[in-house]
Amino acid sequence: MIKLKFVKRTHNNLRWRILSFFIALVSSLLVSGLLMASVGQNAFEAFWALFEGAFMGQEAIMDTLLRATPLIFTGLATVVAFRARIWSIGQEGQLVMGAIFAYGASVIFSGLPSIVLIPLVIIAGFMGGALLGGFCGWLKYRFKVDEVISTVMLNYIVGYFLTYLLSGPWRSKGSYYLQTEEVVKHALYPVLMEEYQLHIGFLVAIVTTVFMYFLIRKTSLGYDIKALGMNPTAFRYKGANIPKMFVLVMMISGGVAALAGTGELLGVHGRLNMDISLGLGFTGIIVAMIGGLTSIGTFFAAFLFGGLVNGGYVMQVMTGVPLSMVYATQAIILLFFLCSSLLSKYRIKKVTDND
Amino acid sequence: MEALLKVEKLTKRFEWVVANDAISFDIQKGEIHCLLGENGAGKSTLAECIYGYYQPDQGDIYFDGTKIDYRSPRDAIKSGIGMVHQHFVLVPPASVIENVIVGTAGAPFLLDFKGTEKKLKQLCQNYNVDLDPHTKIWDLSVGQQQWVEILKALYLDAKLLILDEPTAVLTPQESEQLFKILRKMTADGISIILITHKLNEVMQSDRVTVLRKGKRVDTVITKNYSKNELTNLMVGREVILDVKKDNLPLGASMLRLEGVNLRDEWNPHVLDDISFTVHKNEIIGIAGVAGNGQKELFEVLVGVTTPDTGKVFLDDEDITHMNPADIIKRGVGHIPQDRYLEGLLEEFSVADNLILGSQHDSCFKKGPFLDQSKIATYAEKCTAEYEILTPSIKTQVDHLSGGNAQKIILARELWQSSKVLLANRPTRGLDVGVIEYVHRQLLKKRSEGYAIILISEELEDLFNLTDRIVVMYKGKVMGDFKTEAAKIEEIGLLMAGK
Repeated sequence: MIKLKFVKRTHNNLRWRILSFFIALVSSLLVSGLLMASVGQNAFEAFWALFEGAFMGQEAIMDTLLRATPLIFTGLATVVAFRARIWSIGQEGQLVMGAIFAYGASVIFSGLPSIVLIPLVIIAGFMGGALLGGFCGWLKYRFKVDEVISTVMLNYIVGYFLTYLLSGPWRSKGSYYLQTEEVVKHALYPVLMEEYQLHIGFLVAIVTTVFMYFLIRKTSLGYDIKALGMNPTAFRYKGANIPKMFVLVMMISGGVAALAGTGELLGVHGRLNMDISLGLGFTGIIVAMIGGLTSIGTFFAAFLFGGLVNGGYVMQVMTGVPLSMVYATQAIILLFFLCSSLLSKYRIKKVTDND
Repeated sequence: MEALLKVEKLTKRFEWVVANDAISFDIQKGEIHCLLGENGAGKSTLAECIYGYYQPDQGDIYFDGTKIDYRSPRDAIKSGIGMVHQHFVLVPPASVIENVIVGTAGAPFLLDFKGTEKKLKQLCQNYNVDLDPHTKIWDLSVGQQQWVEILKALYLDAKLLILDEPTAVLTPQESEQLFKILRKMTADGISIILITHKLNEVMQSDRVTVLRKGKRVDTVITKNYSKNELTNLMVGREVILDVKKDNLPLGASMLRLEGVNLRDEWNPHVLDDISFTVHKNEIIGIAGVAGNGQKELFEVLVGVTTPDTGKVFLDDEDITHMNPADIIKRGVGHIPQDRYLEGLLEEFSVADNLILGSQHDSCFKKGPFLDQSKIATYAEKCTAEYEILTPSIKTQVDHLSGGNAQKIILARELWQSSKVLLANRPTRGLDVGVIEYVHRQLLKKRSEGYAIILISEELEDLFNLTDRIVVMYKGKVMGDFKTEAAKIEEIGLLMAGK
């Protein structure tokens, strides 16, 4: 019997990284297909509908980018935190805070013209997430509260806070649903092209991606973030203020995640309601992991996942396969990706008599 | 006389690295045989092949006349080969007798404590060691723990005992005691393989096999050779063992500790009333077995830890409560004990590690961005000056050898510091050539007016390089001597707390 073993590679192999990504993609599509077939669906038809709906034609691409936009933000938020080995799972709550703060600002400053109001609302949204994230960073420094616990718990707290706002002080008068009044028209994100829903939030996402890229790759703050993640002990010996770093990184992460909420509010829903998120925060984590925790990688992974969701809607309409299949596929991709990324770190070798 | 152990053309490879290259040698009955070589020469690998932990790729081993093919140390132990490693494999909360019995092949289900106790007591008596077999390991000193490791082998009737760097953790007196025991063992017919790079110990052996880069250079009778000659064999060229220390007038007081106390959850005396002064143009050596507060002392000086009581002054400024960033700004450099854990960012490049600590300095920045060309220029300069062997300044430091990684820390700290240098075992695990280099750099900075504290377990280095020696034991300063007047026996006793 042939026995195999893993041997660590000496150099990070880009070729294998890309190859392992495609292996993961193909494997997960196969498994998803099997899943579909097991309940009597035609996997080929379904996948083709999904692919068509996601990437074929201008309308498809526009809608895919629309779905990708919030994932770019939550993905980038994850990248900056995870690079510092701060395991923030709070993108969901930060996103909601971004929407809440943005809505509040749009009401308070509604008198201002668009050109001032929109940037103001964006900044307000960012601040909402930054405060939430920074608070978790502070909890870690001051009380040694594990960031996984604090961020996840605050997700729930923020969710309940939203419910409170929507059923109480911010509730739209006379409305049956839990939602606010519509956001004033001149605070809404304008669309990029008349026929499609894709809004300037996508441009904000591009700017944020570029900003993150430069921040992490080229600045001394980026150096600090990476050093914090790599070896906080040595970093501390060489003068780092670790508590300050926790708070700062979490503020940046929270603020960027919040921009996803701001975009969903001002570009998609037009009012604050309970559906403002639906898992965009958590999906952002998957997107960031698949993007290799890099800004550019996350951007493309978000595009892929946006395509899955967009195409999923089409698939549902055309073939009756439910949208939840897409969410299952997203999770399957992550699992396969994690396994196959092993290939880029290790070689498989036969065990010989020498060992 | 028939050799007890015969190794013929043993070759062992790891991937593309040839750790042992067709090595042949033999061990006679009742001799102390040293395996001498620099780090990476292949001594430990060779020993592990004999002990059955590794299987050689080529070559044969004969033990007591029979060709052997050990699949694991269990087979080696059964034949009568024992090994004591650098890091002990004892269970601290268990007693001596429990540690000896655990894992003994063929032990009956109902363990025979009485019989074992009798045999252990006899062995201890035989070798003049006073040890109650029911003592818990964590109540024993390091030297006593090492004896328990040896006991394990003797209990199983070892005919050949391999010791890997045994005196790394012992005081001079404990080392002496160990060698007395080893001599008694050889008188009883047991052979000893001693893996070491310490020449003092080598000189106490009967024969030496010198390894260099995986190959056997020669096997010689120790008493026919001098230390220098053996070092030349080990390194392959002339090496100056003693660096010259200039006679310098003592400068002004630079670093002063007054009554520094530190405690933690388990130990009320991590640092116990430490007071001493370091002057410019001076190197103070801190002698002591590792784990007696030396590392924590540096953590206080660097600013990572704040003492509970007491004060620290740098150039007459109170830095007791200052953070590391500010202390570094005031010209303090630190070469940490564990180069990867405390001093380097493993997956960062050589260049990025060289700027760790100065990444916010304006000389390396262009606005908010890091100025890569200025960093590269600086990194190239360091690499050339300190002869750091690396394919490029962009190489990840975990691809470099330990010696070169250490040089990165050295280059960085010497560049960033201007007044004080705290060096914690800076030459641990380094080759003779690099050790020589580090020592020269320390003396150079001393001449330039630095105040230097050197923590080292190698008393020979302390005597060569320092102006004063401070002995630490259980967090306390046991003695503070001028090096010229210090006696090694006295220091050794103080290191053990007497």
